[in-house]
Amino acid sequence: MGGLTSVLTPIAFVNETALRLGRAVGVVAIALMVIAILIQVFFRYVLGNALPWPDEAARFCMLWMTGLMAPTAFRRGGFVAIDMVPLMLPRLLGQTLNILLLLVSLVVLLVAVNIGWSEVTGFGGKFATAALYLPTSLGFDEWYRIPRSWMMASLLVGIVLLISVNIELILRAVVTLLGGGHLLPEIPDAAVGAE
Amino acid sequence: MLIWFLPTFLIFLMIGLPVFFALLAAPGILLWLNGQTNDITLLYRNVYNGMDSFPLMAIPFFMLAGELMNRGGITIRLVEFSQALMGHLRGGLAHVNVLSSILFAGLSGSAVADTSALGSMLIPAMEKQGYTRKFAAAITAASSVIGPIIPPSGIMIIYAYVMGESVAALFLAGIVPGVMVGVGLMLMIKLMADRYDFPVASRKYTWPERRQASLKAFFPLLTPVIILGGILGGIFTPTEAAAVAVGYAFLIGFFVLRTLSLKEVPEVLSNAGMTSAVVLLLVGAAMAFKTVVSLSHAPEQLASLILSLSENPLILLFLINLLLFVVGMFLDAGPAIIILGPILAPIFTSLGVDPIHFAIIMSVNLTVGLATPPMGLVLFVAAAVSREKVETIAKAILPFLAVEIIVIFLITYVPALSMTIPRITGFAN
Repeated sequence: MGGLTSVLTPIAFVNETALRLGRAVGVVAIALMVIAILIQVFFRYVLGNALPWPDEAARFCMLWMTGLMAPTAFRRGGFVAIDMVPLMLPRLLGQTLNILLLLVSLVVLLVAVNIGWSEVTGFGGKFATAALYLPTSLGFDEWYRIPRSWMMASLLVGIVLLISVNIELILRAVVTLLGGGHLLPEIPDAAVGAE
Repeated sequence: MLIWFLPTFLIFLMIGLPVFFALLAAPGILLWLNGQTNDITLLYRNVYNGMDSFPLMAIPFFMLAGELMNRGGITIRLVEFSQALMGHLRGGLAHVNVLSSILFAGLSGSAVADTSALGSMLIPAMEKQGYTRKFAAAITAASSVIGPIIPPSGIMIIYAYVMGESVAALFLAGIVPGVMVGVGLMLMIKLMADRYDFPVASRKYTWPERRQASLKAFFPLLTPVIILGGILGGIFTPTEAAAVAVGYAFLIGFFVLRTLSLKEVPEVLSNAGMTSAVVLLLVGAAMAFKTVVSLSHAPEQLASLILSLSENPLILLFLINLLLFVVGMFLDAGPAIIILGPILAPIFTSLGVDPIHFAIIMSVNLTVGLATPPMGLVLFVAAAVSREKVETIAKAILPFLAVEIIVIFLITYVPALSMTIPRITGFAN
């Protein structure tokens, strides 16, 4: 038990820190999404000039918001599931089933991270985005065209964070199964829902 | 062999695997067993491509607009406006609860937001006036389902995206069913008010007082006009309309009503972002799932199975209503639409049911499921807000659920109820 909790503590710390940072970036991303679309509407209807970049910039932000914020929801129990069966089963059986379900989730995530890495570093990621550029000089006279891999990395980073959360949840479930539930620190904030 | 992904998926779902993982694990396992490893990569690509969508951006925007409106004290203005109109009737606060839900539905597409925002205000007020807590919680939960039916609606955006329908057509088709649920609930309240001698909420407001309440609610009530007017007038796409709604909610909260502070904004953004992130991942997984549904020819096989039960579309619609109602008892509307839409919609459109009509049947049915025992999400929210037991609210809500079931059957068998407005406005055939 002591060994498990000593492994769990640093993982929980890393998750807590990484997810807090992810939420902060996600908050900025959702604000930028709104601003980008409002700029698009303003330029099109007020100035009569349809800008090429707001659509893609807003999608860029949305993908990163999703990748960075969904793992927090997973950690807080906010992924939608029908949990009647695990709750109806006797305690030990229910907790064992819970560990099994977390292991199935882990397998899905490990397959996904493998594919995600080859996608981001592969052929598709080498294409450039249609309209997103970054200035590379202070005079704004040199621009770097953002590659698609920067957008595609959002899902990969999200999956990596989900794996880290999943491992923490598995360890928590094992500790609970072994009767050490009271030793676990609480995960802050209630469950978030999708509806 | 690929057809087995559907039972595998159902088993995963029933034993409690989160929907997101079940949507990927079941087809993934079957593709792997079938030796179609390249298609597993396709599954991943479809999750990404499914999320990388401009129309889908309307979901976080509408969630954000709803959060901003709620934090900005707009809810109380809507309640005051409803009270000025209906507070003097017997059972006045119960009527106010329903009317506020109808008005709130025009600002937010979420039943949960409706229950928590209106419930925290109206349930204690109703108790104070002599209503039982279980009745107050039950009517709050029952009326909150109007939220995702009247536009804007999160689940209709999801349906439109997953099934390739027009968001505007679905929004328009939801107006009459949403109002019908509201009017039906008010009729039931009237019946109960006469029988159980419900209290009146307030004296009858004078016209100048009503005008005053209308002026206070004017800016919030303008939101659905901006959203729908913008979309129907061809000025905005639904996504742009949603972003404009966010900007508008921010402006009136900060500068007009001055009820919103900068301190609150990060939390509002975080709540909306996190809830949306879960939905967006689910939609991405649903797009991947949909690919395997097509590859497996499951809809064709299910269609022949369903057609072997009956070839009469009316009977089949009845059976599908039963299925959706049962599914709605256990699963939230959004994930249920994501799972069942790609399977059921092609079957019924091939039987001649209009795709928009079917979308509304499905959306309303699954939305009512949100207030249905044992797993209806808004029942739990109403229980948390009212501190009443879920089982007690579940019993008290039954007369209102009966009304909502009648509305479901009416819109199922009288397509004109939902289809007239989209047809008149040219958004449906």
